[in-house]
Amino acid sequence: MADSSKVLVFRQMDSKVEEGFWARYSSFKLNELGIDDSPLPITGFFKPCSRDGVPETLTLLTESLSSEPSEKYFSFEGGNRNRCPVPGTLYNSNTMESFRALDRGTLLKNEMGKIWNDIMSGKVEEEPNFLLRFLVISYADLKRWRFHYLFAFPAMDLKPPVELLSLHSASKYLNSEETESLSEALNKWRNSSLTSDVSFFLVCITSNSVVTIKLLKDWKDTQSENCKILYGFYDPSNLQTNPGWPLRNFLSFISLRWKVEKICFLCYRESHGLANMELSLVGEALISISQDWNFPQYVPKAVGWETNMRKLAFKHMSLVESMDPTRLAISAA
Amino acid sequence: MVLTQKLHEAFKGTVERITGARTVSAFKEKGVLSVSEFVVAGDNLVSKCPTWSWEAGESNKRKTYLPPNKQYLITRNVPCFKRAISLEEEYEAAGGELLLENDDDDGWLATHGKPKENKCDEEDIPSMDTLEIDNTRAIHSIPTYFGSEKDEDIPDMAGFDDSENLVEEDPATLQQSAYFVAHEPDDDNILRTRTYDISITYDKYYQTPRVWLTGYDESRMPLQPELVLQDVSQDHAHKTVTIEDHPHLPGKHASVHPCKHGAVMKKIIDVLMSRGVEPEVDKYLFLFLKFVASVIPTIEYDYTMDFDLGSTS
Repeated sequence: MADSSKVLVFRQMDSKVEEGFWARYSSFKLNELGIDDSPLPITGFFKPCSRDGVPETLTLLTESLSSEPSEKYFSFEGGNRNRCPVPGTLYNSNTMESFRALDRGTLLKNEMGKIWNDIMSGKVEEEPNFLLRFLVISYADLKRWRFHYLFAFPAMDLKPPVELLSLHSASKYLNSEETESLSEALNKWRNSSLTSDVSFFLVCITSNSVVTIKLLKDWKDTQSENCKILYGFYDPSNLQTNPGWPLRNFLSFISLRWKVEKICFLCYRESHGLANMELSLVGEALISISQDWNFPQYVPKAVGWETNMRKLAFKHMSLVESMDPTRLAISAA
Repeated sequence: MVLTQKLHEAFKGTVERITGARTVSAFKEKGVLSVSEFVVAGDNLVSKCPTWSWEAGESNKRKTYLPPNKQYLITRNVPCFKRAISLEEEYEAAGGELLLENDDDDGWLATHGKPKENKCDEEDIPSMDTLEIDNTRAIHSIPTYFGSEKDEDIPDMAGFDDSENLVEEDPATLQQSAYFVAHEPDDDNILRTRTYDISITYDKYYQTPRVWLTGYDESRMPLQPELVLQDVSQDHAHKTVTIEDHPHLPGKHASVHPCKHGAVMKKIIDVLMSRGVEPEVDKYLFLFLKFVASVIPTIEYDYTMDFDLGSTS
């Protein structure tokens, strides 16, 4: 790293779990799973930052755990703009000892491997949200209604790190016609039930400042058109200095799959639920992929456990007040 | 208090089971909403303020009189930068907005305020003694998330070898409280704040919308409902805001009790009509949320942009 000031620094994804998630997991564990501790498919939800001052989170809701978990868990009726679904995996341990003994390195690497395969196989072009796969390890203590858990958002550890050439608010980077056209196109994209939860997309700007938004799978077509491309994503970060975590795997994907080295990206953000071009950012990044990555079967090193002050951010939630039958009986008496 | 509340809930539940939902509009006469008017007003809110959306909720808690995919409205992750308790002093000092009071004692915030007169009903503001949560004690000694009270047996993650908890240095990860990159700005730009999920259900008994608050602390763990009262205007904290079971979500949540909603909405509608504005029922939730803003003044949810309240005759 020659000049550290130019490293592109991503804001980590924040996680949030609603009580309903652990409540549903508890009854599922008690009624169906028993001591079965095999990994469970879950769905997290996020959306672009929509309020200045707070970042958006990857959230687990009651619906994150399908009542009939199956291979098809990742099919949600599209159209809820405030719920972009992201596939995840829950590794619950039956005891505190086995929770502590989990091999976090291997788990993260395995999940990274899935993302890598989805990039290489082209699946990401069909299902872009698969770039955001996450995992949760947990110990659900159902005797005490306590839940201990840790999130990871696997991302490729690029060596050397991505170099940031510039970063501006979108309204500064683009001319006023482009800004207006982009804002209009994005609002349309967000309001269509077909695309509102598709969190990665292509922005094509023609020389006469007309903007259209396209799906990733239309990338090839855009190459023959004479237009400038911005690689856009829903950005949960609210910081003007740092794009959010989803950009990290997106840049790797663009570089690996389409061999683009200098990437112009758009961090899409909203205010009051509408596109905001002052808060949205446009940046230019330079990415160079190590030669190792060309070896078949290679999977790059992963980072991504949720941290706070450089330490793993284990979280604890208690549902004693709302779940414990004894307490409920007392409060109802 | 608790007993009467429970008796009332039981009574209300029974009445709700045996009576049909309102189908005839009485919006202008009584300030209430029929079920279909609630859906129309909700659709309008979702389309004008897209941070709100309809939820289907859990299937076993669904109300048959509402469409399955439109059971309640929710907006998540709404910031609350300061406590209403501390804000109130600032309001007073600045002249504040106008609280319209009447004998019934249900205040609402006027759209065009004038400085609040100082005579304001002292006796109506609960004294700190009866308040149970006073500012300092609540913040310092009540644990901010469930279950950490007297909780020696939370398995201590610090029991892990420290080196094991440390994450390998990654120059491309923004550290939440410490930057690795020398030339980055100070960490002050990462602000930690409370957030709220605000939901609106239809209360069949009172025939009005009902607002529920689910709070999260600065580290995004659920707030005890009692702590939510710090973000409620103290005029309301112990009268109209209660902690009850949410009809669609698990657990206890703070809620603005709907017993006066019809009357307050009727008054707002009367004021509008006296100004020559004919209120339209699909704007009901905008008016309603504006009134709710006087109860939760520091929670910055979306309820209005520039819009017409109704047609001007």
